[in-house]
Amino acid sequence: MNPTDASPVLLKYPSNDVLGRVRQIASGELASAAYKIDHEGFYPAGIMQTLGHAGAFGAHLDRNGQQFGLAIDAMREIARNCGSTGFLSWCHDVCGLYMEQSGNSALMGGLLDEHVCANTLGGTALSNPMKTFAGIEKMLLRAKRVTGGYRVSGALPWVSHIGRGQYCGAIAGVYLDDGSTSHEIMFLLRCDDEVVLRQCPEFSGMEGTSTWGIRLDDYYVSEDALIADPAKPFIARIRAAFVLLQTGWALGVTQGSIESMLEVEPLLGHVNKFLDNRPDELQAELDDLSQRIQTLALTPYDGSVDYVISVLDARAQSAELSLRASQSGLLHQGARGYMMNTAPQRRIREAHFVAIVTPAIKHLRWEMARLSKQVLPA
Amino acid sequence: MTPDQDWKQFICRACGLIYDEQLGDPDSGIAAGTRFADIPDDWVCPLCGVEKADFEPYEVVSVMPMSGGTPVKVTRGVGVVIVGAGYAGWAAAEAVRARDALVPITLVTACEGDRYLKPELSIALRRHSSRESLVRETGIASAKRLRVRLMHETFAVGLSPALHQLRTTRGNLQYTSLILAQGARPSLPEVLPAHLCWRINDLDAWVRLKFQLGDIPKHIVIIGAGMVGCELADDFMTAGHRVTLLDVQNAPLAALLPGQASERLRAALEGAGVKFMGATQVAGVTQLAQGVKSVWLVDAPAIECDEVVVATGLVTDTRLAVGAKLTINRGIVVDPLTLQTSAPDVFALGDCVSIDGTPCRFIEPIAKQAHAIASAITGNVDAPYAHSAPVIRLKTHSLPVVMHGIPTPNGQWRVVSETPIQLKMAQQADGVDCCTLELG
Repeated sequence: MNPTDASPVLLKYPSNDVLGRVRQIASGELASAAYKIDHEGFYPAGIMQTLGHAGAFGAHLDRNGQQFGLAIDAMREIARNCGSTGFLSWCHDVCGLYMEQSGNSALMGGLLDEHVCANTLGGTALSNPMKTFAGIEKMLLRAKRVTGGYRVSGALPWVSHIGRGQYCGAIAGVYLDDGSTSHEIMFLLRCDDEVVLRQCPEFSGMEGTSTWGIRLDDYYVSEDALIADPAKPFIARIRAAFVLLQTGWALGVTQGSIESMLEVEPLLGHVNKFLDNRPDELQAELDDLSQRIQTLALTPYDGSVDYVISVLDARAQSAELSLRASQSGLLHQGARGYMMNTAPQRRIREAHFVAIVTPAIKHLRWEMARLSKQVLPA
Repeated sequence: MTPDQDWKQFICRACGLIYDEQLGDPDSGIAAGTRFADIPDDWVCPLCGVEKADFEPYEVVSVMPMSGGTPVKVTRGVGVVIVGAGYAGWAAAEAVRARDALVPITLVTACEGDRYLKPELSIALRRHSSRESLVRETGIASAKRLRVRLMHETFAVGLSPALHQLRTTRGNLQYTSLILAQGARPSLPEVLPAHLCWRINDLDAWVRLKFQLGDIPKHIVIIGAGMVGCELADDFMTAGHRVTLLDVQNAPLAALLPGQASERLRAALEGAGVKFMGATQVAGVTQLAQGVKSVWLVDAPAIECDEVVVATGLVTDTRLAVGAKLTINRGIVVDPLTLQTSAPDVFALGDCVSIDGTPCRFIEPIAKQAHAIASAITGNVDAPYAHSAPVIRLKTHSLPVVMHGIPTPNGQWRVVSETPIQLKMAQQADGVDCCTLELG
């Protein structure tokens, strides 16, 4: 389970200046690799490990004091320089969260130590189940009970931050012999030789995220690999935390876009002042939003409807803001930002992904409307 | 009759019904064109039954006509945004439009925005009402008339006063002024499951309950014998259903009425056939076979019934206000003169506000609040709001109740007159009459 060439070291979580170290790596090594990641599909496994050693992927875990605010800030620093790696950071963060919150000792010890340092890499395959639980799609993976565990079959179209030897959290519906479903299970899917990984079509952006199609054929899930059985109560508990963490990625894309505007202000400010969405307006909205997100980050497992709606609202606003900011970033830079090796055009494609990845803006609004409706007898 | 006859309108202070001299009240024998002054003194409000003296002039500021009838181009960036399309939301839209013919108004509502009088819902079954007969004007028609952009089936989910930004499930809105008219929602005790218990606080819920009741008499358990619980019990009973009314207190409306009066109300409800069970605490509600529900009681056998209606009071939904860091005290705190909240350019009115720490969930002050807000946001502070205790009217057919003034917990009640069919009482606090009460 070790996809990187770097030697696995530093299993102890660093206790101080996580943000300073992450900022340094993100603005240095990562910023230099951003073009290669976006344009050549370079998967930054080594940089992820460096970031992991700096503590970028562990602050939110209970074992490190449940510092969701710090985890979001670290992700923001990463996404500010590279949206693809910002997305990988979210995938990695939630996978760690699944492992720890599972309560399964087989997933919480050494495996989690390696994961937090990013000595091993793993993501999340919950797009389809999250949409299934919201009533938007049908569950794609099917499980059957067998002695000592389950057998799972089915295919998922695209799962990021995986590869041979890596892993991800996944959910399958459990089918009974009569064809009905009894419940769902969540498990850590290890991408070993049994799992077929299929090349994905080329996307508009977010290359370098090691995104694959997955096919399972009677894949065996042992009890050691179970994250939750049944899965639904587990998802209900972690859902807000899962969505809240994504905001770090969106805030970073927005912050980077504002910086691109400020970069050209001395040169182009005299004409840019005629544009909508000026950097000061966007920064004011970003600061307002960040403050709300930091407050929400204090209680990530508050399951109340009011809290969940507030998290979904923050996530939707962060996506809308990144769309507006990236668009405006390119308008502010003009032809400079339209060149393929520049950040503004890349951020437009990154922001579009922020807006369409699960939960997409439309799904967020659908879910907020559903949760806001008064429940009455049928 | 010519249009220049200067017809006047008068509003019922208890239920908000408007008497229009031009239209009269033909159902009560008052012909169209009857001046309010010429109406006999024994005439009562056709909706809630309060007396003529409880009506007051209703001033309508006429809307400036648009030149050439061309539609207004509503820009998205500025204007007035109103959250809620109940009586308060539409009153605000009317008041703002009356003072400014051009300002863009956007109204955000979770429902269709159809206009009806909520007090009518608790007497609607015996009147054989329907959605069509209750709706005075559809949301779409009102929006067209007032040139309001109506965002129906839309929920307001976030508010950032510093950015003048309201976020909704259909996108973000910028505002120059925001008016919160969100109302209040029925409180539901934790032991009562929402999917088994009706709360009748809006037209949709009432229509769905009416459909569920159908044409066959049913057994309905009402939990909570406050104003709404008593009125619904009376209405369901009159409409031919069997009603059991439960309350933790010994008698109905015990929190508001003195003991003697609530006992009389209990006797009247029981006389009409309602089974009242006082000092009763509900432990839960479960579903049995074929739609039958079981209401579990603490220290008493469970009751089986067809439908359960919960009427245990209202609470302000504060999520939006809390997220926006507005000051809250049992409702959104507003300035008693301007109805402005603690945030600049954000106003609130109706059931969602609290004035001097007290929510005011009556229909009568709403039009005045709307005028105060409209005058504040259009730059005229000529019409400040003056809060006064509204008339409380219980529309129970078996024993109508009217209260003027708000009773205080420590005040002394005395009987003014008492006959088998009528009881008049008054309350004194600090040597002054503060509240009068009439039953029958």
